[in-house]
Amino acid sequence: MKPDVTEAVTTAIRSVLHDTGRDTKPVASTMLLAADIGLDSLDLAQTIVLLERSLGIDPFRSASTSRTVRTVSDLVSIYDHALASPPT
Amino acid sequence: MPTSALPTQTLLDAHIEGRLAFAISEVARQAPDRLAIIAQAGSDSRRTIDYRTLAVAIAALEAELDATRPVGIVARASRVESLVVIAAACGRQHVHVALLPYDSRDLVGEHNDWLEVDDSLSLPAAPTGGRMRLEFETVPPEVTVATSGTSGPPKLVDHSWDSLLAAARLAEHWHGLGWLLVYDATRWAGMQVWIQAMLTGGRLVVPASREPDTVARALADEAVAILPATPTLLRRLLTSGDAAVLEKASGSLERITLGGEGADAGLLERAHTVFPKAKITQVYATTELGEVYRVADGRPGFPSNWLGKALPGGARLSLRSDGELLVRLSRDTAEVATGDLVERRGDRYEFTGRRSDVIVVGGAKVYPKRVEEVIRGVPGVVDVRIYGLPSGITGELVAGEIVLAEPLADGATPESIRAAVLAICRESLEPHSVPRILDIVSQIAMTAAGKTPRRAR
Repeated sequence: MKPDVTEAVTTAIRSVLHDTGRDTKPVASTMLLAADIGLDSLDLAQTIVLLERSLGIDPFRSASTSRTVRTVSDLVSIYDHALASPPT
Repeated sequence: MPTSALPTQTLLDAHIEGRLAFAISEVARQAPDRLAIIAQAGSDSRRTIDYRTLAVAIAALEAELDATRPVGIVARASRVESLVVIAAACGRQHVHVALLPYDSRDLVGEHNDWLEVDDSLSLPAAPTGGRMRLEFETVPPEVTVATSGTSGPPKLVDHSWDSLLAAARLAEHWHGLGWLLVYDATRWAGMQVWIQAMLTGGRLVVPASREPDTVARALADEAVAILPATPTLLRRLLTSGDAAVLEKASGSLERITLGGEGADAGLLERAHTVFPKAKITQVYATTELGEVYRVADGRPGFPSNWLGKALPGGARLSLRSDGELLVRLSRDTAEVATGDLVERRGDRYEFTGRRSDVIVVGGAKVYPKRVEEVIRGVPGVVDVRIYGLPSGITGELVAGEIVLAEPLADGATPESIRAAVLAICRESLEPHSVPRILDIVSQIAMTAAGKTPRRAR
């Protein structure tokens, strides 16, 4: 069954905001991770660990992931892409 | 309690390599009915053996060694009594012996032509073409042990019988006591315990597992006097062991010897409260260096004025600029970097962890022990482990596990305690030190050496 990546990414970001004591505002796919949501590199690192737990992969561990991640949908598409490609 | 009739001087007169076998035989002759090793493998199969059995087994193995003269013996035994017999017999017969824990057995490569002895204590026929010990060989026999692998993979280290027996306390008041063995019997720390017990006619009590209740019951049922443990093992015992059983155990416990990790003030206070009669000694030793010093004042770390001075054992301590502890065992030996980091706090140097334990988050260092100390103060948390989780973004990320009190205080929920832990960390720590992953677990993981693991499993 194909996991709902958008849902997983949204949940992870909300968990990060909650754990760091910030308001868990609604997360939309067009939002900028840094400017709109306020995620720094540590927050992003935490998000990726949470996503590894829920989706079972970490596309950032392999050097091939060099795409810029600016928006929520950037993040979603990286995971969509990683889940679609066969594991190497 | 009748003391062992083995006079210290008689033991010291025995050749050092044969001292272990000598002590076992002597005590067997004088008090054949006393228990030597009390192991509880399984719930109902309690095996008891006396010194006579050990002495007879040593003699039998020695006879075989006499006939074959192998280059060395690799002990493949899993029972403590077998390891004792193999080590003692090899020592007296001047045969090199390697005592290897299970996780180090693939390191045996260089000992390919050595013979293996298992729990059956019988020697296989020497391989044809295998090197036999030569008559004129003058290299003193050594004992090969493996490092615990806390930092990096385990490696083999050769020790002389001198260095192995150096730390044993032989004075009369150490004789005939009950010792608890919670360490792996094939590791340096465990070997120190059974060597000590055997040299002084003591009882070695081996619990069936390291579960806090099992350990507590072994302490209480066998009236154990000496508990050697790591701070991680002791903390588990104090936080999760049955309170009534611990109270019973406190009646006989005379001494707690901590080693392997630094102990914090909270643990030392707690141990003193639960075991008020027990003296608490902290031993600083490594598999490579052996024992460097001991502190018995019940405070963490060591006095700051020890730096640069010759300590009772002859060792000198100094610091590298980054806080790593350096040890020079004697004037004739080189300075050794220990990998342990210390920090000045008042009139003490306290351990902040292993250099290899340091978690590097986006270039900033995080000392896991420091984070653990902050979290241990949160009501409802009984134990914690902080470790580094690899991250493609920041190199590593601080992660943690907490064990909650049972039952929780009124009104508290696991989620409220977890939130309180994170809030206190945010208040007291730099942002990169605050755990980003925090799981509630039923028990903190432990390494084979009884220490807290510092990397993701």
